[in-house]
Amino acid sequence: MAKVYTGRDGRLLIDGTEQIKVTNWSLTGNLEVLETTTLGDSQRTYTPGVQEFNGNATLLYYNDGTGRNDAATALKNVLKIAGVSDTDTVDLRLRLVEGNTNHDVQLTAYITSVSFAASVGEVSRADITFQATGALTAVTI
Amino acid sequence: MAYPTLVPSSRTFTAGDYPYKSFKSQNGSETRILYGDKRTGMTLDLGYENIADTAADDFITHYDETKGGFSVFTLPDEFRTGWGGDSGAIDAATGNKWRYDGPPQIASVRPGISNVTVKLVGVL
Repeated sequence: MAKVYTGRDGRLLIDGTEQIKVTNWSLTGNLEVLETTTLGDSQRTYTPGVQEFNGNATLLYYNDGTGRNDAATALKNVLKIAGVSDTDTVDLRLRLVEGNTNHDVQLTAYITSVSFAASVGEVSRADITFQATGALTAVTI
Repeated sequence: MAYPTLVPSSRTFTAGDYPYKSFKSQNGSETRILYGDKRTGMTLDLGYENIADTAADDFITHYDETKGGFSVFTLPDEFRTGWGGDSGAIDAATGNKWRYDGPPQIASVRPGISNVTVKLVGVL
């Protein structure tokens, strides 16, 4: 059956937990290419180099009835008194749902920046950007 | 083994000069004495970018076989690929051969891929 995916199908999981009140996420994959053009060539040629993946997401700063606040949890990956260590990676799963089927991109990442603000007339939200480390863990898109 | 037959990605040639000595008198006039009729001292810088490590190590093998800058050698035609002028114009001039002017430099770019830089000088 034909299917157009929209934001309604999007999910974001951090360390296996589906985040509540996510307004958007995006993922960018880059492949560095190394030029192999030599003298006498008329067209440039390349060989694949190193890949990288990064992206961003926005979570509402929201306390559910149990006191759970996913945005706060994400923010604490960077806003730490003790500083960030090698082990402060998160397991991210960027998901599009189609019925019982999940289309996932899973990666291990560092939260590299957070932006958190309160403004009159606006819902407080946390903008986070992440940088994947290593290869993608799973791709089922 | 002979010098590797790879096509370089960059090439810089300088033509060298003829052996002469100049003397300048107190009134500023210059006198030059020519000591030879063969141009020498030409230099050639060759760059090989993003080549396989298995090709890059051929330069070290060749460098060992020539005992570094001690022995002289000729270059394969591949070194002048893309040059549309007289083929001899950017090669070692008559009577000259090439020798290493320094060790080949290998810069690792990523696993299995390297950049190699070679500096050669023409000697009689």
